[in-house]
Amino acid sequence: MSDFAIGLLSFPALLGLIFLRIPIGLAMFVTGFVGLTIITGDATQPLARLKSETYTSFSNYALSIIPMFLLMGQFATLGGMSQALFKAAESWLGHRRGGVAMAAVGACAGFGAICGSSLATAATMGRVALPELRRYGYSGGFSTATLAAGGTLGILIPPSIVLVIYAILTEQNIAKLFLAAVIPGLLAALGYVIVISIYVRLYPAAAGIRPRMGYGERFAALARVWPVLLVFVAVVGGIYAGVFTPTEGAAVGALATGIIARLNGGLTRATLAESFLQTGRATAMIFFIVLGAAFYNGFLALSQVPQELAAFVVEQRLNPWLVLVIILAFYLVLGCLMDSLSMILLTIPIFWPVVQGLDFTFVSMAELHANRATAALAKGAELAPDMLAGISDAIAQGAELSREQIAALGLRRVNAGALAAINLEQLAIWFGILVLVVVEVGLITPPVGMNLFIINAMDRETPIRDTYRAVLFYVASDVLRVALLVAFPVITLFVIPW
Amino acid sequence: MLRTGLNMHRFMLKLARIMAYLGGAVLCLLVLLTCLSIIGRSLNRLLHGAWAQAQMPELATWLLGLGIGPINGDFELVEAGVAFAVFAFLPLCQISGGHAAVDVFTARMSARANRVLARVSDTLFAAVLVLIAVQLARGLLSKYGSGQTSFLLEFPLWWAYAASLIGAVAAALVAVYLAVMQWGAALSGTSSFKNRGADR
Repeated sequence: MSDFAIGLLSFPALLGLIFLRIPIGLAMFVTGFVGLTIITGDATQPLARLKSETYTSFSNYALSIIPMFLLMGQFATLGGMSQALFKAAESWLGHRRGGVAMAAVGACAGFGAICGSSLATAATMGRVALPELRRYGYSGGFSTATLAAGGTLGILIPPSIVLVIYAILTEQNIAKLFLAAVIPGLLAALGYVIVISIYVRLYPAAAGIRPRMGYGERFAALARVWPVLLVFVAVVGGIYAGVFTPTEGAAVGALATGIIARLNGGLTRATLAESFLQTGRATAMIFFIVLGAAFYNGFLALSQVPQELAAFVVEQRLNPWLVLVIILAFYLVLGCLMDSLSMILLTIPIFWPVVQGLDFTFVSMAELHANRATAALAKGAELAPDMLAGISDAIAQGAELSREQIAALGLRRVNAGALAAINLEQLAIWFGILVLVVVEVGLITPPVGMNLFIINAMDRETPIRDTYRAVLFYVASDVLRVALLVAFPVITLFVIPW
Repeated sequence: MLRTGLNMHRFMLKLARIMAYLGGAVLCLLVLLTCLSIIGRSLNRLLHGAWAQAQMPELATWLLGLGIGPINGDFELVEAGVAFAVFAFLPLCQISGGHAAVDVFTARMSARANRVLARVSDTLFAAVLVLIAVQLARGLLSKYGSGQTSFLLEFPLWWAYAASLIGAVAAALVAVYLAVMQWGAALSGTSSFKNRGADR
């Protein structure tokens, strides 16, 4: 059997193990180990790799951001930030129709800005907001569905652990990915708010009403949110501005939320110990999957499957949009079964080479010329009047600049390689955000979405059927948003400078 | 028999927790270290800056002379520390069944089939974690033999391997214990060894 065939056969083998409830990291590790043994003839190579690969996988500097973000999320919960966010949003929106639900979505978005995981956001906000929603007469299914959907904002709005992993796998800049995720994340929150206002008009009985609050009370509630804002700006702003590396940003965030939790009295010896346990469990789970994926992907690369697959897709000359939609549909289905992190680690090494080979152009040579020329002119490049007029004409017509014009502007000649690199980065960021959004839809897709179970388990009176029915509205809004992001890459990419 | 079994379980649980606390403590230290390094780096930049050099050159030079600056090799410590912490967190994840798995399909299977699957997965896990610990120990020996050091701080890399090995061995111990309990339950016919969620 050829190496390629062995590589291909490993897919059904791996999926079989995973569907038989073998933990995902373990399944990848075992498949990779066995595959490497078969391909290289004996176990010498995988055993030799194991001598250093566990240590190097776990000591990867870029990955050290993950336990720190997890710790930060724990401290943020202890510091009462979830309550503060919900109270503030609720005092401003609660009197509207469906307002308490909208407030829950808003609070989820806010908490997502300091927490990198969907399940944690859903669980934390569920504890805070679910009793309140029920108290104000919101129906069980509507309440649970709202919080399950809101929870997905935890990972859409940066910081996001899944994006960190994606950035490492595709060798992209984490800060840029975080930045690109902001607008799609806010769009998600907006979509959910619209869903709520439609839902309460279709089913008026699903939401209760409460009187307005005075502005004094509202501003007082708002004032308690400042720590969240401070932490978000310090962490994400600091990373983006290049003040510190993503890992340093996570450390700053963990320290800041820790101090706030201490000041609020939420951080005691007992809660600190508990937050170590929670952080530890989640960290070990993630890193074990990372280790398994490292082994499995090492084996796959040796079998040449990703390369051959990518070459095959390119040869078919398929419509790139068609390929993209098929891949996203695949993620949507798989996302219903698997957690987002495992899925990214499992599939990106296979799909990214394929996507890389697709012919998407985000920036043309003329646009690149125009961009560089405008920058040079703004800096005050001195030109002869007729040269200047010629350049302005070319920019206005969207034409490429001539060699003389580029030289006159004092620019280096922009070669095709630089243009390709820019387009590749844009593609990587766009694809990453699309995948992130799509896998999150899986978390709330009945009958298997994990967020649905987490939230539904908190409300014993509500049958899961009711949650399923109400969440379909949110799923519809998600699908609509995915279509929007696919059709208009600019929504995601306009914040990324090139 | 039951008594020793319970004591054993309590011991393993305690071991897993203590390791997790250690990992958490190290993680907190790394957070502090990283923040201190950022502060040092910013102050250093400020003191070297035009304003400080113009307004208070003596003070700035004196402060810089004290060694105010980023902590040398901070990211090397973060790398080694996080590796230790992750290994230290593994036993807890093991004993509390914290690993991500897909249970959509097995939920429809019989309780018996699920028990068999749990046994298979615990056995596999034990084998893999023992293998990881053994190979890490071998890696430690080869680093010790080669005398390889880290780039900036020049601490011998085998130190970091040795620290990680503590957690790896604890994880292997816990995993073997869990697998043995599964088989023991299966052979003695007592239907269930309930481990999943023991520590939630």
